[in-house]
Amino acid sequence: MKKMLKYLSPFAPDQSGACGVLYELGGLIVICDAGGCAGNICGFDEPRWFTKKSAVFSAGLRDMDAIMGRDDRLIDKLSKAYDQLGGEFAAIVATPVPAVIGTDMKALKRMAEKRLGIPCITANAIGTRYFDEGEEEAWLNLFKEFAGKNESERLKAQSTHIGILGATPLETGYATAEPLLEMAKAAGVESPVIYGMGSDLEVIRNISSIKENYVVSPAGLKTAKYLEEEFGIPYSVGFPFIPEDVKRNVSDSIDSLLSVLIIHTQFAANEMRNQIRTNKDNVKVDCATFFMQSRDYAEEGDLRLSGEDDLAELVAKNNYDLIIADSDFERLLTASGYTGKFVDFPHFAVSGRMNDDSIMFFS
Amino acid sequence: MEMNKPYCKTTKELAELGLAGLPGEMKSSDHLIYSSPATLYFNSPGAKGFGVKRAGLAVPESVMLLVSPGCCGRNTSLFRSAPEYKDKFFFQLLDDTDIVTGRHLTKIPKACEELLEVLEKQNKKRPSAIMICITCVDALLGTDMERVCRKVTETTGVPAVACYMYALTREKRLPPMAAVRTSVYSLLEKQEKRNAADINIMGYFTPLFDSSEIYPLMKSLGVKNIRELSRCESFDQYKEMSKANFNLVLNPEARAAAQNMQERLGMPFIELLRLYRIDKIHNQYKSLGDALGANLDDSQYYEKARKTIDDFKKKHGEVVFSVGEITNGDPIEMALMLVEEGFKVKEIFATVGELNFRFLKRLAELSPETLVYSNLSPSMMYFLESKESDEKIDVCIGSDAMYYHPDVPNVEWCDDEQPFGFDGVIKLFERLDAALNEDKK
Repeated sequence: MKKMLKYLSPFAPDQSGACGVLYELGGLIVICDAGGCAGNICGFDEPRWFTKKSAVFSAGLRDMDAIMGRDDRLIDKLSKAYDQLGGEFAAIVATPVPAVIGTDMKALKRMAEKRLGIPCITANAIGTRYFDEGEEEAWLNLFKEFAGKNESERLKAQSTHIGILGATPLETGYATAEPLLEMAKAAGVESPVIYGMGSDLEVIRNISSIKENYVVSPAGLKTAKYLEEEFGIPYSVGFPFIPEDVKRNVSDSIDSLLSVLIIHTQFAANEMRNQIRTNKDNVKVDCATFFMQSRDYAEEGDLRLSGEDDLAELVAKNNYDLIIADSDFERLLTASGYTGKFVDFPHFAVSGRMNDDSIMFFS
Repeated sequence: MEMNKPYCKTTKELAELGLAGLPGEMKSSDHLIYSSPATLYFNSPGAKGFGVKRAGLAVPESVMLLVSPGCCGRNTSLFRSAPEYKDKFFFQLLDDTDIVTGRHLTKIPKACEELLEVLEKQNKKRPSAIMICITCVDALLGTDMERVCRKVTETTGVPAVACYMYALTREKRLPPMAAVRTSVYSLLEKQEKRNAADINIMGYFTPLFDSSEIYPLMKSLGVKNIRELSRCESFDQYKEMSKANFNLVLNPEARAAAQNMQERLGMPFIELLRLYRIDKIHNQYKSLGDALGANLDDSQYYEKARKTIDDFKKKHGEVVFSVGEITNGDPIEMALMLVEEGFKVKEIFATVGELNFRFLKRLAELSPETLVYSNLSPSMMYFLESKESDEKIDVCIGSDAMYYHPDVPNVEWCDDEQPFGFDGVIKLFERLDAALNEDKK
């Protein structure tokens, strides 16, 4: 049955993705939910929650709020929190409850901006979609709201940085910017700055200081295109964040193999494919993803998976010698009859496992 | 209100305001909810401890089908890898159309058939029940899940039970954790004859400490079999619970389930509270004995608890406490016990409500300057940086207090094994003693 998970657990949802984008930018973030969604984000999908403070709150909706559509109460609560805590902007992230009752997020945005006197960003998350769709909307709304606003003349004259767009803990498995910046530099990215990780809203406001964007997730593509059109900033894509041990394990496993399947986000999988081809040019490598897939960066044979059955079918049809994926997929692969080699390539949005051991608080 | 300062009131101020006059900052319905790292249990029942999902699987040999948008089951991967939950969770994910039209309900029987096929392929035993867990979406759609469960039972031959993970109804008469307790006992069937020497203990999803005096006390009355859901290893053992003479309810969250069993099975119940003031524990046992027409002699346990507290006091003197609410007990009642025993309580992290306000009023008389914080207030995100020196606190109780004072000796006091009665008090002071001894080293 489609939409049934018998072996896997649900992946990180869109509200987690949206929150992950905005987390470090100094806003007052409200998850428009009854409590469970905010708890899932803070307690599971946002590894920075335990190490880096951010004003992320639940709206604490109750049944009568939903039935009566009491948006004014939400704005009252938001305003009260703003009086206590301040914030550069407000963000309201939707969840299944506003989706079911048809909350007008644009109206909420207007109400919040009027009452608080600061910009408000909204994300129409539903909870039925994956994290990358939430990220995509949050990136775009964030840059539309702030890019090029209040630019300082000094920075305007300097276009020196390469902006890394799309990196979040859910995408990379790293909770801090430092290891990511190191990996980017090692991959030849000059003077990198990561939007939303280890940088603040000023980087986005002073967008002219960016000479080029380097997009590491399909979720950042819409925004990269927007910045190219609006500000003439060109972009390229890649994923320089594959952990060394994963690369090493793949390299050790690839000797006489002819056929490989990589399951991850599209750009991560593409990067891994490139690495394999650098060493072996006679290997057939397919990339599959449960997440966003841009046709512009897909090869023939690459596949977007819609559920467990898709993956089971793909594996049954193709005699892969090696599969590279998060180890959470192993049970499903085994049940689908796969008996080849397997290399673990953790994906936080799938299993909740980090690459950065220092933030491994779930065991 | 001061900016960037955690909101708090003294016990005296709160007692003067009265329950009806509690400030908005202490009422979760009046402000945004802060999911403090110290208290994630509130917003993420699955993230720590027992939430609806883990609780629903308390029925031995059962499996769970979570019917919801993916986000509701996301944190399940935390415990899905644990051996006791392997092959226990299945998910029917809702899409955008489902959450508006409710069309997913027609697919639930098919999903249940498929999960049974998966278990059969793996040579797993046929489950005793399928717990079907639904969430806020179905609360808003007004889903009649009992009807769907009947259909599943008809289709598969396996009993299906609804579990309601309705976060939207957290403050209602039947909040999710009370509702799920009703669900997990719902498979018990009325017996023609119950056994006078059998009782059930209800309230927790994990057993009481084996050393709890409640076991020998009940046995002293001629009780032979004391059953707890969490000690049932098989569905057959679970079914034995329907033979009990009465239920002993140790947690108000199990009251609705006990009432339901009284109506359905004709099984009466007696409710006791988890208390830490030993005189009150004694009074409670006396009342229990009176209700059962017997004299419960708890003197040896009382004396042991008295001695443990006295020895602790002699050894450590006038200890200053920080008491949190992520603990196996009510923090205000616990603070009241500490103050009555001659200790000091600098602060309490608590949710003030109808049940514990009477303790707060008494505490205000004895310790009017004790500060009360609400963990859920957004202002609590500034607690760590605005707190005064840890020096004024000698020891913390509760994982939240421990989070707020990481350098102070602490007793987390929220493990799975449940403390109760004098034994709980003794264990608490033993652990406090160990924590302070460790610090002195």
